[in-house]
Amino acid sequence: MTEKDMSRAMLLGLVVFLALMVIEIVEYVVGIKVLGGNLIYMAILAIPGSWLIVHYFMHIHELWNRNKEE
Amino acid sequence: MATLLSDKATHDYRRMKLIGLWLFILSETFLFGAVISTRFYLQGVHRPEHLNQPLGLVISIVLLLSSLMAYRGEMGASIGDTKRFRNNILGTILFGALFLVGVGYEWYEAFIHFPPSTGYGTVFFTMTGLHAAHVLSGMIALIIVWVMGLDGRFNGSNYWAVEGTVKYWHFVDVAWVFIYPTLYLVS
Repeated sequence: MTEKDMSRAMLLGLVVFLALMVIEIVEYVVGIKVLGGNLIYMAILAIPGSWLIVHYFMHIHELWNRNKEE
Repeated sequence: MATLLSDKATHDYRRMKLIGLWLFILSETFLFGAVISTRFYLQGVHRPEHLNQPLGLVISIVLLLSSLMAYRGEMGASIGDTKRFRNNILGTILFGALFLVGVGYEWYEAFIHFPPSTGYGTVFFTMTGLHAAHVLSGMIALIIVWVMGLDGRFNGSNYWAVEGTVKYWHFVDVAWVFIYPTLYLVS
């Protein structure tokens, strides 16, 4: 991994974190102030948040992409 | 030929570890799925008035921040950057500890307003307790990995210990992404 790749990975991590934070705050506002905690809306907001973590932080795609070797 | 066989064996070994870890994470997903569904089975969408929702949001962001640091620590280990690995994994552990302090305060308030003997209290203490136990075990694993990495042993070809532990930590975060709205927001 080059220094440029590393900088890109760090930036990606920051962007994903900010997106997750925005989702959490929107979820809070929607749950408390706007829609009174509607279950469907809560699920709709939680799923993309978890996908961001599973895809970008946990790298689930490594399970079917075999190009990363130890 | 021997080299080719050796490379193939190494590759498959890493893949086996990866699949084993994901199967473990899948089994944990069923566990958390069961307790989340229990919340709706026992309490429907009832939400008590005295929940400290702002604190719930704050500790959620603390946990997300710990995940970011874990990601950065893993990236550091993957290129043998010991300083980056060390600082970020230490930050992850500290944010994990801060999260547990927040949960502890939530418990203090919950004992007053909805103790474990009440229906919602049963659900609340079970879910947050189960999750906190996972956070604690993740912190212990991170401490072990952090100590292991002090001598700079992790690099691009040897950092599975970091990778596996950090993946587990992220899973704990994913679980919270569902537990937080289930307990604090749904009504």
